[in-house]
Amino acid sequence: MKQLTELATPFASVADSLPLVGNEFPWLNALRQQATSQFNIDGLPAKKVEDWKYTSLWSLAQQSFTHDADKFSLDAQQCDQIALLVDAYRLVIVDGEFSQGLSSVDALPAGLSITSLSTSLTNVEHVLGKQVDLAKAGLTALNTMLMNEGVVVTVATDVHIEKPIELLVINSGNTEGLATHLRNVITLERNSKATIIEHYVGLSDDNYFTNVVTEVVLAEKAELNHYKLQQESKNAFHIATLAAKQAANSQWKTNNISLGAKLARNDVHSQLLGEQAHVVMDGLYLVNNDQHIDNHTRIDHGVPNTTSEELYKGVLEDNSHAVFNGKVIVHKDAQKTDANQQNHNLLLSRGCEIDSKPEMEIYADDVKCGHGSTVGQINENQLFFLRARGLDEVTARSLLTYAFAVDVLERIPYEDIRQALSVVIEQRLPRGGK
Amino acid sequence: MLEIKSLHASVGGKEILRGINLTVNAGEVHAIMGPNGSGKSTLSNVIAGRDGYEVTQGEVIYKGDNLLNMAIEERAQRGVFLAFQYPVEIPGVSNIYLLKAALNAVRKHQGLDDLDAIDFLTLVRSKLELVKMDEQFLHRGVNEGFSGGEKKRNEILQMALLEPSLAILDETDSGLDIDALKTVSDGINALRSPDRSIVMITHYQRLLDYVVPDFVHVLSKGRIVKSGDKELAKELEKTGYSWVNTETEGLPA
Repeated sequence: MKQLTELATPFASVADSLPLVGNEFPWLNALRQQATSQFNIDGLPAKKVEDWKYTSLWSLAQQSFTHDADKFSLDAQQCDQIALLVDAYRLVIVDGEFSQGLSSVDALPAGLSITSLSTSLTNVEHVLGKQVDLAKAGLTALNTMLMNEGVVVTVATDVHIEKPIELLVINSGNTEGLATHLRNVITLERNSKATIIEHYVGLSDDNYFTNVVTEVVLAEKAELNHYKLQQESKNAFHIATLAAKQAANSQWKTNNISLGAKLARNDVHSQLLGEQAHVVMDGLYLVNNDQHIDNHTRIDHGVPNTTSEELYKGVLEDNSHAVFNGKVIVHKDAQKTDANQQNHNLLLSRGCEIDSKPEMEIYADDVKCGHGSTVGQINENQLFFLRARGLDEVTARSLLTYAFAVDVLERIPYEDIRQALSVVIEQRLPRGGK
Repeated sequence: MLEIKSLHASVGGKEILRGINLTVNAGEVHAIMGPNGSGKSTLSNVIAGRDGYEVTQGEVIYKGDNLLNMAIEERAQRGVFLAFQYPVEIPGVSNIYLLKAALNAVRKHQGLDDLDAIDFLTLVRSKLELVKMDEQFLHRGVNEGFSGGEKKRNEILQMALLEPSLAILDETDSGLDIDALKTVSDGINALRSPDRSIVMITHYQRLLDYVVPDFVHVLSKGRIVKSGDKELAKELEKTGYSWVNTETEGLPA
């Protein structure tokens, strides 16, 4: 059985009944139709599917979700507190709906466009759906079938945007069991530069479902710093696909920080399609209680002279379960590829479990590739040293955990973003901060 | 200050310390010397409270209380400082963060408030000067990528900042070139005071040329077999430790 057959939420018929955006566009209707057919074949993947071996969507399938959000309004002050960055262009989505009032995207510099998906479908026909594969086992087909909102960011040729852009996606907890399917499209034209943070926040302990697909297109010499911070409710499902196509000399630095959700799955994919393209794919997961987080990453070195660096770190507590599956594929003609992949895990309790699976498939013969995976515990010598300097045991353990985790922020070039993220990580540490 | 009475300790079931007796008064500097395997490091680890050392008999009294009943951090907070033979590297924790956390832990125990940022930095800078360390060391990970000499100077920096009542220096001279040895010794000498006691544990006599001890003890097979003044160290330098082993063989265990 390759799919879960009993779905408490009849997603396919939901698609017929919902007022979906863009039904005036034939190209979009065709795409949705294709997605529906695919979903009818594949449904939700079962654990028999290799890529879902360690993550069961059974509890998601059992849950009855609604796609109809009750109205909820958030005031600007609350929104400021929730946001990661004070000084940023901000686009806010609350319970699946774009909030004009909370967003600050009206006065943008020339060459930068930040709009909601629902209002910019005319502009994305040639981009949307091109970075992802509907047939790949996962929830992309479901997303395509039901996507109703999201963010479209476009940076024009030669434009360098210094101020970061925060895409703030909030679930208020006002509608029990709300499912939202979001699609973000980020396009950086030739020699442009931007910094974007996707930020997902749950304001309650509610059970809900965020299903998001973010597509990234980097033209030649484009440079995108991209960070994702996931702080969903502790009972939420968060399923995300993040896929980029990179042209020659482009740079994508992404960092995926997962703190929340009961069950979270990230599929992160970079396709290096032009020479000298470079990707930094970092991530951190901090899980406790019975949280489950699954990171599947994939980097395709498609042409010669491309480089990738990947570092994922995890801190596991209680009975949590994490999965890291990192695949690097060096295609036949991709000579002089330089790829390094690392996954390091810190286990703080006996009950937690990590399945770490680094994979390299190399079809070229002149490459430099390395990978490593470790699982360890708090270093007793370091702990003794800190205690011998007067730090109590709880503080010392917490400090060592922080030091282990915060390492993944090193490659973020902006001090204020690094600082903001390190504060969030510190607050989320076992037993309260460094 | 410190009174060690008939201390017996084992590691992994093997008895290493076999009845140590030692009294260190305030203001005194003691050197404990001995060949490899005589129990020098075990003694310092037992005093600091490291796991894996089982005290089977005896007591260690510090300022009137039994040190062995205290948690590791409590010993430190009460003013016992161990300078490590092998200081550990802690990437991700900056040196300045460690110094601040350690100082505030001691101050909290003394009922004092945390030092504010400016006062703290002023204080740290004055201590950096003492051990001839550049300020950039503050912002590196604790001992991360430090040379052997830099690590030892960093230990003395921590000691200078924390101003302990009792400092145990475990092989602080090992791995130092002559310049670093001098710097470290100057740092230790600057901390000599009538209300501070220092115990130096060392294999070699050369540190004692720079930090002149009031008393020298020779440790062999887990016991102090001879005590004297600085002349004893010089004698050891000349004759080596072989006589020590011969002399103790006849003693009852």
